[in-house]
Amino acid sequence: MTGAARTGAEDEVRRMIPDVPALLDALDAVDYLGDEGLATAMFLAVRLPQPILLEGEPGVGKTEAAKALARVLDTPLFRLQCYEGIDAGEALYEWNYPRQLLGIRLAEARQANLAETELFGPEYLLRRPLLQAIEHRGPRPAVLLLDEIDRADAEFEAFTFELLAEAAVTIPELGTVRATHPPIVILTSNRTRDLHDALTRRCLYHWIDYPTPQRIAEIVRRRVPDSAAPIALQAASAITRLRSLDLAKPPGIAEAIDWVSALSVLGVGQLDAEGVDQTWGSILKNRDDLDLALGRGAAWLVGDHG
Amino acid sequence: MADLASPGLVDRSGAGRTSVEAAALAVGFSAALRRAGVPSSPDRAARLAEALRLVPPHARDPLYWTCRVVLVSSREQVPVFDAVFDAVFAGTLDPADFRGDQNAPPSIGAEPRTRPTASDNRPAVAAEPVLLPQPPALTPGGDGSIDPDAPERDTILVTAAAEERLHQKSFADLAPDEVARMRQLVRRIALATPERVSRRTRKTIWSAPRLDLRRTARAAQHTGGEPVRLVYRRRRTRLRRLILLCDVSGSMEPYTRVFLSLLQGAVAAAEAEAFIFSTGLTRLTRQLAVRDPDQALARAAASTQDWAGGTRLAESIRHFTDTWGRRGLARGAVIVIISDGWALDDPDSVRTQMARLRRLAYRIVWVNPRKVALDYQPVVGGMAAALPFVDAFVSGHSYAALAEVAAAIRADRSDTHENTRTR
Repeated sequence: MTGAARTGAEDEVRRMIPDVPALLDALDAVDYLGDEGLATAMFLAVRLPQPILLEGEPGVGKTEAAKALARVLDTPLFRLQCYEGIDAGEALYEWNYPRQLLGIRLAEARQANLAETELFGPEYLLRRPLLQAIEHRGPRPAVLLLDEIDRADAEFEAFTFELLAEAAVTIPELGTVRATHPPIVILTSNRTRDLHDALTRRCLYHWIDYPTPQRIAEIVRRRVPDSAAPIALQAASAITRLRSLDLAKPPGIAEAIDWVSALSVLGVGQLDAEGVDQTWGSILKNRDDLDLALGRGAAWLVGDHG
Repeated sequence: MADLASPGLVDRSGAGRTSVEAAALAVGFSAALRRAGVPSSPDRAARLAEALRLVPPHARDPLYWTCRVVLVSSREQVPVFDAVFDAVFAGTLDPADFRGDQNAPPSIGAEPRTRPTASDNRPAVAAEPVLLPQPPALTPGGDGSIDPDAPERDTILVTAAAEERLHQKSFADLAPDEVARMRQLVRRIALATPERVSRRTRKTIWSAPRLDLRRTARAAQHTGGEPVRLVYRRRRTRLRRLILLCDVSGSMEPYTRVFLSLLQGAVAAAEAEAFIFSTGLTRLTRQLAVRDPDQALARAAASTQDWAGGTRLAESIRHFTDTWGRRGLARGAVIVIISDGWALDDPDSVRTQMARLRRLAYRIVWVNPRKVALDYQPVVGGMAAALPFVDAFVSGHSYAALAEVAAAIRADRSDTHENTRTR
């Protein structure tokens, strides 16, 4: 458990994030609009400290949350995108064999003497995200994002947690690297499989709900600054209306942003049926869904019941 | 809720130590939650006490989010959590009541303690006849044809031969004692899916299309940097995921008792995902994944109220695809649907949902125990609509027929198209 490695957050982090409202404001300042639940979750993840597992539908901003937290703390974000078959060589470290070989050849050509310890020196080590996060020198802990942990094998999950609990890596040739600032760990999952009980037991958990139209509109306004004020809210309401249909791939926040961008490029200042008809492709990316929505019509989408 | 703002819940002056009140609240509340079926543990309660020190619960919302973030570990638990939270903190219940007294009646929103949870290892209600392990000689059909000199392993085989009659018998016609024996047999069936190429590679010294440069370089270090031996790599293979969807509606009842054992064996041995459906869909993988077979079935029975109702085939498949399949569970997987296809829904929607599933899955195997009836024609609305999307249509009504099911699951996609393709 990372909690065992240190108790409580470091002083500087404590000063930066004294309480939940402060974190909420800080997230807002880096253009991430969260709610109290998410802020509480991240606050506890930083301050307890404890890894946190974020779940939610695709596109509700799980990965963004981790990035925003790194920006708030002004520390690097190390991201490990998990996939089936990922192993220690891709997650932790690997020796740069081609470079070692080159080093040997070079030494031979120069008639120089190359000691084995030189060959297994830090410069021949390929650092992968886990090692980078553990080696991070500070002054504040790095944010380590294990993205889509459910895609990795169960064994990898166990390996990662073992490592993070120790907050140290032993490289046989180099010795043990111990974290001076154990990273803040954020995991995301798309629920393609059940995570192991041992993992969920050690993590805090937060389910990110799909935001309200007002919140979506705010997010869109931040991302597409040159969009007209009313259109963001209209688009957000339309997307929420679309989500009430039984769609295979319901549009998310990313679609809302794309859509408003498309509309402002086309110079549409007020959402109407005509504008919708031009831009169906930005919001619906599945033939069946498109048929379903076309059946309701563009007028329904813009909320024109007259 | 307003009384939460009152001082005393948390000792705000004690910055360095967890206050006694926060600890009591944390323990009391997590006990209430455990009673309602959300797994909890002492270290979680300790973590909550710690968290409550960091986020002083001056109002309802901070308290709600702090408890939820720490104590909940999946989305499914959120409704139960909300109910318990409201019951405990709406003033109807005092969390202190939960301290020590484990015999208190279940609170509002809390379910009876028989509900299986991770910490509850006792089998709940034995809803089905308890399976008694029987020595092979006592099985029905054992008529003295067993060679007493044969070694023990052979005895099983001989017994198996003596059980030939049982093997051919339809699951629907089994007597209760035969059901128990059959469940034992069925649970041992090893289902295997076709292989797929994985992203991982493994080294091979035989010539392969891809050279493993890293390993070659490493091996060359033993020979002074001279790559004397080339190391190749080839992609590993893995078994495809197996997903079983079993119809437990009324019309399937005679067969369900045996098919559940098939599901259980597959979950244990082939890491399959098991779902049951009738009017709704329930995931059973977790309940079936315990080692004790009786306990597994008891847990499964307790987890759904949906037994022996009608079938909403299209709705169940839609639910599966939306909640599990699209997220990746069904992609490239072998999906086995065990159902007689007697559905309440509109054949058109069955067609739509099967088409969606077809696009995700590697193969779909449909097991219909009624297929074996001589005059069987797949004209039942749901079945007729589903058939065009099915790669293999098998009966699986008896132990012998399950071999056909196993073969259908094992088959590669190319095999199915051999009939239509000329080679």
